[in-house]
Amino acid sequence: MATSLPASEPLNAVQLDGLVVLKIIKHCRESYPNDVTGQLLGLDEKGTLEVTNCFPFPSDCDENASAQYQLDMMRCLRAVNVDNNTVGWYRSAHLGNFVDSNLIDTQYSYQKSLSAHSAVIIHDVSKSAAQGNLSLRAFRLTDAFMKQYESKKFTTESLAKAKLSFSTIFEELPIQVHNSHLVTLMLHNIEMPKLDASRLRSPATFAQHTELDDAKPLSPNFDVLDLELDPFMQKNLEYLLDCSDVQQQELNNYQYWQRSVAREQTKMQAWLTKRRQENQIRVEKGQQPLPEDEVNTLFKLPTEPSRLDNMILTAQMHNFTKQLNQFAGPSLARLYSIQELQK
Amino acid sequence: MSRFFRSVSDSESDSESSDNESFISDEELSSDEGEQSDEEQENQEEQPKKSRFLKGAETDSDEESDEEFGRKRQVKSALDKRLDEMNSSIKAIENGQKNNDWNLISTEFDKLTASVNKATSGFDAIPIPKFYIKTIVEIENMLQEAPKEKGGNKKKGGAAAKGLNNTKQKMRKITKQYEQLIAEYKKDPEAFMVEKEEKPEIPTPKKADTQKGAVGTATVDESELDGFTSVGKGGKTVVPITADNIFVKLREVMESRGKKNTDRDEQIGTLEKLIEAADTPFQKILVLLALIPSRFDTNLSMAEHMQTDVWKKVEAEVSLLLSIVEKEQQFVIREDADELDHDDKDIVPEKGQVINIRGSIISLVERLDDEFTKSLQSIDPHTTDYIDRLRDEPTLYAVLVRAQSYIEKHNMLENLPRIIIRRLDHLYYKPEQVIQSTETMAKSMLPDYITSNVITAEEPSQLIHQLCTYLYKQSASVLRTRAMLCHIYHYALHRHFHTARDMLLMSHLQDSIHQADISTQILYNRTVVQIGLCAFRDGLIKEAHACLQEIQGSGRVKELLAQGVQAQRYGQQTSPELEQLERQRQLPFHMHINLELLECVFLTCSMLLEIPAQAQAGPNNKRTISRPFRRLLDYNERQAFAGPPENTRDHIMSAAKALASGEWERARDYILAIKIWNLMPETQAIKDMLVSKIQEEGLRTYLFTYASYYSTLGLAQLATMFDLPVARVSAIVSKLIWNEELSASLDQVSQSVVLHRVEPSRLQVLSLQFAEKAANLVDQNERLLTTGRDRQ
Repeated sequence: MATSLPASEPLNAVQLDGLVVLKIIKHCRESYPNDVTGQLLGLDEKGTLEVTNCFPFPSDCDENASAQYQLDMMRCLRAVNVDNNTVGWYRSAHLGNFVDSNLIDTQYSYQKSLSAHSAVIIHDVSKSAAQGNLSLRAFRLTDAFMKQYESKKFTTESLAKAKLSFSTIFEELPIQVHNSHLVTLMLHNIEMPKLDASRLRSPATFAQHTELDDAKPLSPNFDVLDLELDPFMQKNLEYLLDCSDVQQQELNNYQYWQRSVAREQTKMQAWLTKRRQENQIRVEKGQQPLPEDEVNTLFKLPTEPSRLDNMILTAQMHNFTKQLNQFAGPSLARLYSIQELQK
Repeated sequence: MSRFFRSVSDSESDSESSDNESFISDEELSSDEGEQSDEEQENQEEQPKKSRFLKGAETDSDEESDEEFGRKRQVKSALDKRLDEMNSSIKAIENGQKNNDWNLISTEFDKLTASVNKATSGFDAIPIPKFYIKTIVEIENMLQEAPKEKGGNKKKGGAAAKGLNNTKQKMRKITKQYEQLIAEYKKDPEAFMVEKEEKPEIPTPKKADTQKGAVGTATVDESELDGFTSVGKGGKTVVPITADNIFVKLREVMESRGKKNTDRDEQIGTLEKLIEAADTPFQKILVLLALIPSRFDTNLSMAEHMQTDVWKKVEAEVSLLLSIVEKEQQFVIREDADELDHDDKDIVPEKGQVINIRGSIISLVERLDDEFTKSLQSIDPHTTDYIDRLRDEPTLYAVLVRAQSYIEKHNMLENLPRIIIRRLDHLYYKPEQVIQSTETMAKSMLPDYITSNVITAEEPSQLIHQLCTYLYKQSASVLRTRAMLCHIYHYALHRHFHTARDMLLMSHLQDSIHQADISTQILYNRTVVQIGLCAFRDGLIKEAHACLQEIQGSGRVKELLAQGVQAQRYGQQTSPELEQLERQRQLPFHMHINLELLECVFLTCSMLLEIPAQAQAGPNNKRTISRPFRRLLDYNERQAFAGPPENTRDHIMSAAKALASGEWERARDYILAIKIWNLMPETQAIKDMLVSKIQEEGLRTYLFTYASYYSTLGLAQLATMFDLPVARVSAIVSKLIWNEELSASLDQVSQSVVLHRVEPSRLQVLSLQFAEKAANLVDQNERLLTTGRDRQ
């Protein structure tokens, strides 16, 4: 398998071929509501990750079979001389619920073992359906997070030092959809009315607008004007509630840790003062003072629970709330405009 | 005694030892006796006086002399042994002193003390051996020097130091015991030891050999005996008391006052005689000023109270003193007066001359008051003794008034607030009628010329007002605080809820009360509780609940109101000192606020607030208004079998359950069945108030609980159900609608309530849930942050 050269230029955009986009959409939609994943193939060049092909992973096999399938697939692709350089992976999501440890883990191994320029494409099926907009986002883990994840140390201190927060786990890359000229041409062709050349000459035919409109394959989509708010909001809120429950638990854990630390520390302090007094007496008696650093061997501060889960949860919640916000603006605009219309 | 016994054997051995020789089979005995007889012969020469006591014994027991002889010999040898033991101990101690071996000293001293104790007690007791005293003094001296040698001691390590400490502690105890003898020894060791030397000599005749030269032991002995009696009794009793030698006597008594071993009762007796003998006012004043404190002195421990008869005597004497100084205006008792030097002569003031005598009326009166409170604290309040005791209160109050007027007249302004606060303390918790009667009784007990410029009011409320406003002007904040609280308490007691509440709030006492001393805090608690009760009487349920919750909700009502020591909780041990203090803080029973009534009022208020709130919020809400009430109710509901209510609490719980299910009549019956309402003044008014409250809250509860089952409700129907006028029902419903507690509207035409069903959409439910969760999260996060910051 080809590995990309050590990249000199940092990745700053992802270019998807139309084929890839369609394949991803197809795969994800078909298996909705299950989450599915697949492999991205292509090349990164001059800071742009060009994705030219992709293939889905089977969703219902165990890990070994999946790995075997992947290898076989790659071999076959190579045999037919298709691009077979792995540049990342994609997965489907629902209303932005994609930030979890699984995603981070996988993306970490991609970025670590395959190429530092791997990216993950998230296709949000529900969101695309609800808002009538295609939701495709490309992410990669930031370098700081990679380093942190490698050391597996997520304490408050280390996070502060690395200046990591929930918003800097991922960096989002802009996505461009790229088509070959032939495809572009074809699209343009589709957009033009399919009219007979013979009838084109007759001026009378121009009067029949309806006919002309009907013939357009790409009629405008009115999904955007949908006034139904509830399903989307509800789902979002449910997710948020779940998240906040877990978050609450995390906070409880942390609080517990804080308390136990405080307890240990008071014990340590008591021991130290006792030892100091002892030492003072010993010094007065002319004896050697006992060492004070034994305290570290006698008492052990409980280890701080990993902040990673907390961070992920926060990122997830951030996602949801942002989504709600983004949804709320246009929705309100729509509602107001409808109100005006109904007057 | 032992000496006499020995002498018996002495005389007998002279006469009979040879005769009885043949009977005594025991070798030892005979040989011992042989020695003995030699020594005792000499002894006898020295102690001719002793033998004369024993003549009778000699003649009596000729026959049994043998047996008796043996027995006596045993006694004697035991004594000898003891003395030998003591001597050896002393030697060991001396050795120890030389070597600085405190361990040895400690153990030996223990032994010595034990044997001395044995020897000086019981039937055959000997006087305290003087060498023992000497040893004590020596060890004491050693101990004083010991700290200087500390450096040396340290090297020796723990054992010696421990020994030293042990001895120190023992010495402290023992020196107290033999204080007098030690003092005597210290005064003149030589002379003391002369006596001392003959001491061991008598019991141990063996030593007598060596000290043959010591002459006149018997006489010395006698004089010594005399010495002891003189210290114990004193020769005063012999001298008759006359007006002339009063001052001498008085000075004698005064000098011995507070000293160890002075017989206080005897002193008081002397002083009582003195007061009889005294005829000039000056004499009387001086003697009284000595007598009253010494009466207080008889009762040393703080815990015990003065006997009632003694108290009455003191009270009479204080009154006498006050009446003397009131009449003889040329004598003034002042705290800041110089000690009067009158050379034991009477002083008769010339005209216009004012003689200042040092003394403090206020502290005597205060002490008298304290003793009174103390006695009330310790007398069982359910006996007639308590009531009898309480009858003395007007007398005491009269003394207070009298003292106040005296202090006022002589312009001792710094003491005036003290006496006024005492007066206030006796009045503030009483209803007006009782205050009135106390005042009149006190007036009747006092001569007419007792007047006050500061406190002129006759009317009880005016009186309290004047007392308090006088204290408000004082600079000491404690007095002002207490006066304020008493004033508020008084208002609350007389149903001036709003005045009391406004005063409390304006005083801002709640901000600073936790820094006050405990008795003021108790007073604060009492005041708050009283305000709560007052609010309840006025039908202000919510206010009453708010006032009472803090105290009643804590579960430590008794402690907070100082009306009994709380039972131990969680097995925690309080130290006896703390318990002692706690006991001293307790209020006398007649000042108590009835705890059961308090609980009853609190629970009733809780019920009237909690049941509608619960009905409104639905079954699953966890927000409680009154946690104790909720707990009791839950407990009551968990019970498998609920019998008819027995106590107050049960009644309220049953009423609550009835109220919750809309049966206001049963609730009313339960509440009215509570007997304790009779303790409240104006019982009927309170009961009426309660009934109307139950009707209203019943209606509210009913509407909250059953609204969802109706689409419309007739006002008239509701009115008959709850026995309320239609206008009232309509008012309550309107209020509910206005407060958005009930989603309904009033139909004026058909006189009915039209209920609207509004259920939140799923989205709204979720949003509400999320809002709550988010708030929680934020809260928790903030807490985390603060604790984290504290730690760093």
